[in-house]
Amino acid sequence: MPDTRIVITGLGVVSPIGTGSDRFWAAAVKGTNGVRPLSSIDTTDYKTKTGGEVLDFDPAAYLEPSKIKHMGRSSQFAIAAAKEAVRRSGIEVDKEDPFRMAVCMGTTMGEPQILDQGVRAKYDASDTNAIPPDLPRQYPCSVIPTNVARELGAKGYVTIIPTACAAGNYAIGYAFDLLHLGKADVVLAGGSDPFSSIAFTGFNRLLATTPDLCRPFDRNRSGMAVSEGAGMVVVERLDHALKRNAPILAEVLGYGLACDAFKMTIPDPTGSGGIRALGRALANARVAPESVDYINAHGTGTGENDKTETLIAKTVLGERAKSISMSSTKSMIGHTMGAASAIEACACVQMLNNNIMLPTINYQDPDPDCDIDCVPNTAREADLNIVISNAYAFAGNCSSLVLGKYKG
Amino acid sequence: MSGPKVLITRASAVSALGVGLDELSANLPGDPGPGSVKAYEFHELDRETPCFPASRLDPVAVLGKKGLRTKDWATKLLLATIELACKDRFDETEGDGKPGICVGTAFGSVQSIGDFLSDSIVNGVNAVNPQAFANTVINSPTGNANIRHQVRTLSTTVATGFNAGLDALLYSYDYLRRGYLPAVVAGGLEELSYYAIMGMQRSGVLSPRGLIQPFGTAADGFVPGEGCAMFLLETEESARARGASPIAEIAGVANAFEPGTFAGAWASGSDAVRYVMREACAGAGIDPADVGFVAASANGTRPADAMEAAAIAEVLGGTPVTAYKARLGECYGASPALSLACALCDLKAGRITGVPAGYETEGGINLVVDSAAGAESGFALINAFSCDGNCTSIVLKNVP
Repeated sequence: MPDTRIVITGLGVVSPIGTGSDRFWAAAVKGTNGVRPLSSIDTTDYKTKTGGEVLDFDPAAYLEPSKIKHMGRSSQFAIAAAKEAVRRSGIEVDKEDPFRMAVCMGTTMGEPQILDQGVRAKYDASDTNAIPPDLPRQYPCSVIPTNVARELGAKGYVTIIPTACAAGNYAIGYAFDLLHLGKADVVLAGGSDPFSSIAFTGFNRLLATTPDLCRPFDRNRSGMAVSEGAGMVVVERLDHALKRNAPILAEVLGYGLACDAFKMTIPDPTGSGGIRALGRALANARVAPESVDYINAHGTGTGENDKTETLIAKTVLGERAKSISMSSTKSMIGHTMGAASAIEACACVQMLNNNIMLPTINYQDPDPDCDIDCVPNTAREADLNIVISNAYAFAGNCSSLVLGKYKG
Repeated sequence: MSGPKVLITRASAVSALGVGLDELSANLPGDPGPGSVKAYEFHELDRETPCFPASRLDPVAVLGKKGLRTKDWATKLLLATIELACKDRFDETEGDGKPGICVGTAFGSVQSIGDFLSDSIVNGVNAVNPQAFANTVINSPTGNANIRHQVRTLSTTVATGFNAGLDALLYSYDYLRRGYLPAVVAGGLEELSYYAIMGMQRSGVLSPRGLIQPFGTAADGFVPGEGCAMFLLETEESARARGASPIAEIAGVANAFEPGTFAGAWASGSDAVRYVMREACAGAGIDPADVGFVAASANGTRPADAMEAAAIAEVLGGTPVTAYKARLGECYGASPALSLACALCDLKAGRITGVPAGYETEGGINLVVDSAAGAESGFALINAFSCDGNCTSIVLKNVP
């Protein structure tokens, strides 16, 4: 299907600055900081005391009480975001062929709180029999998309791609391909990750978390903030969306994947994977570098990432990189792991629709190694037509997603 | 569906039945039975637990000593299998010409994840080894493989539980048909781990008798196993351009979801199971009656086995059926990839390796016991049906 166009018709967000895409957007435009002292973990022994938690999340608003106890927080987030995305898209699920409705998700840690709960139960009681029998079944990350599919009645492709912190982009990219290949009519795509003590401990031990504020692209940036959330989009072929008079929010123009093949936890300082991913995304989308209006950066706030990401943009976009704006949503919501690029895709859709670029907050001191316009501290109006969302990850996974304003 | 033919030009497997495809083929008709495990490095199970470990693998013999110190067992299984399958393909290609890598796994290394967590609980968060954190992401084995072979083209992990090994092949099949790459090394991986076995024990899915009897009338659960099977998938154009001889073709694929399952309770009338078997055959351009044999997903979990038997009987009638898990154990994400490797061995050997004799089996399907002559059609249907509801079928076509 060479002329197939793929569009986004719905989105849903669960984030530390608000559950629901409208609340998320309103808070993000104001430059709200969702990184706060942590309440779900004892931080006494940690250098970093802050992170992003979704404090307003009530699973009972999305799930029957009897189901809540049978699934982890990642599944609950994903279902909440998916239900919002479906509602906004106006899809009437019972009018769709269920075998042509797919669910494609990404995650970093899956349901780590389930494993945490089980292992702590074992240690607390010195007995594995203290582990609730139904707990192990809630752990494999495969349950996240199957819980979504079961809740929404989808019976098509149901898959999860745990490519760590780039997973949301991988999932949306695969949705794009499933639609192009004619394997689905509608795909619910996105990512979900709950706050994880494993991730918080690990990033602390790697000295990758900041004891300060998260300050992407700032000279004094000192690390990332571990966070949680979910983002989901409804993706479908344009003809399918038009036929049902769906609200068309944006067009998925293409994506690109690559990897660094360098180190498990450190990006290649030459940006080899990111350069390939961005170049492939532009080629896949048939978009020239000079047409790009904005980049939503991976922008974690670590020294290595932000410097390398600047290099990637300069290498691929050339002169255009000096004038293009590239901001970090993570400055506000922290790093939501496998959900990050899915939430950022939702943010990009909202930016395209509102012609507003979200800011990089906590920015004070320019870094000559990050000499880009990071939209410091305050959201800014701009005529946005084509935007890119970058996501990079452990194991050197690199991805870029190209979205465009739908113009008929 | 449009797109180029997708061929298998290399394959390898590591499992309880040996290291490499030749050992798998030679040992498949034998009946080694399960081994057992109790002690792990930091933990001990409360009893000797029957399982099918890949104990014949010596990672150093396959991979050399360099770089293995910080690698967990799942990563070693994957690296060894890839090394055996197609090290030379990685060595003789550069940059954007290298095949991608796509691995299906249910857990990644849950041993690494659990040990990291245990260490932080027992010894304190500031005592854990930061380097060990890298092994806690589910895509860690795949990442280690792309680093070892300097692969910058594609490195993806798919984690759809029991189906992951086949779904990684589906992902790669789609990636090739979209024209993004000419070749991807894809398959399934799973390690035996303390945490996974403990979880299975608590869930009550393991056979109390320590026997795995797919489609058995007295089956009472499964015996866990481990392993890895990887395949070099190439477009026909790529294989032809480099003069590679295909050994099989991924002729048809299908994936669907059965919402009627929850916590392992399959609805006997599952239409998703029937749907994927029919769709995979349709994608291959064959009638279900043309399938030479079925490599079933059955693992001795009676409701799931009964559901699959009823669906096979309805869709494929009297087509011969086997269940390789009887000889390999339930290897979770690796299982369907190992089943595909076994089917490939059987297609090449002109045989169908059935389930071992010695237990009473369900009626209604043409279950092969011991072995039978291979069908002439050259098509095998590989099934993967997960307790989560994931359903995947692939039609494998032998290329003589």
